[in-house]
Amino acid sequence: MLIGNLIPWRAKGHELAASERPAVDTLERFNVEVDRLFDRFFREPWWGGSQFLPELRSGGWSWSPSLDLNESEKEITVRAEIPGVDPQDFDISVSGNVLTISGEKKSESEERGDNVYRAERRFGSFRRSIALPEVVDLEKISADYNKGVLTIHLAKSERATARRIPVSTKK
Amino acid sequence: MATGTALSQDTGRDLARQEPTRGAPRYRPVVDILETGDELRVMAELPGVRAGDIDINFEKGLLTIHGKVEARQAAETTYVLREYGIGDFYRAFEISESIDASRISAEYADGVLVLHLPKSEKAKARKIEVRAR
Repeated sequence: MLIGNLIPWRAKGHELAASERPAVDTLERFNVEVDRLFDRFFREPWWGGSQFLPELRSGGWSWSPSLDLNESEKEITVRAEIPGVDPQDFDISVSGNVLTISGEKKSESEERGDNVYRAERRFGSFRRSIALPEVVDLEKISADYNKGVLTIHLAKSERATARRIPVSTKK
Repeated sequence: MATGTALSQDTGRDLARQEPTRGAPRYRPVVDILETGDELRVMAELPGVRAGDIDINFEKGLLTIHGKVEARQAAETTYVLREYGIGDFYRAFEISESIDASRISAEYADGVLVLHLPKSEKAKARKIEVRAR
């Protein structure tokens, strides 16, 4: 018995019964969406980035990008999808173990005055700070921007890389 | 409408229910759509997609944008934080048919796709001069 069949508006077809997978996928996707919603709520200043009350917007940053952060043996890679930014407008800094990505996404000024049907893209300054899981070597940080994706490579500092210590025995 | 455009009011209307029946989830790219005197311009954000992997289709007033996305990281990556999902970008719009489909052009840079949909001759707003005798 599928739980989906208990929900009246879903019980009508056999589609769900045929395979359980789509329901699982949908549920998973829903979870991710809800997580994101909470994430964004707490990460974005709702008083500053208000779409409804632009006069309340603070002079500071108005949005912050999502991040993927992964760790290999030697480095930490941070990836952010921030399309449409001039690479020179990025400002990346590391202080202690906190990485900060900020910058400004400039909107094409010619747009004003045209007839706008949809305006979903976000422009203006953005900022995101994140604590890195390990100490990084400040000398070995590189960043590249390709197809709207910013990738930052941070080499772990020598002290942080795990070292295998051989145990010797005396005979 | 006092804007004097020849495009239908449905222009830019989002066609919902694009959920795929199976497979990976699809993501809805954010777009800006604006109209100038002689074209409709759609700007969509498709970060991480190669220009060759963008599929744009315009048929009978239905515009679809499909950007194929490869796995963003190697399969064995250890994520410390993961906020992006994996899935293609897909979105469909209803656009008035007074578009000259043969002259549609698109460019892609820094993850932003800019689509130019030129209005057909008859849809262009025309100014009629009044001659004085």
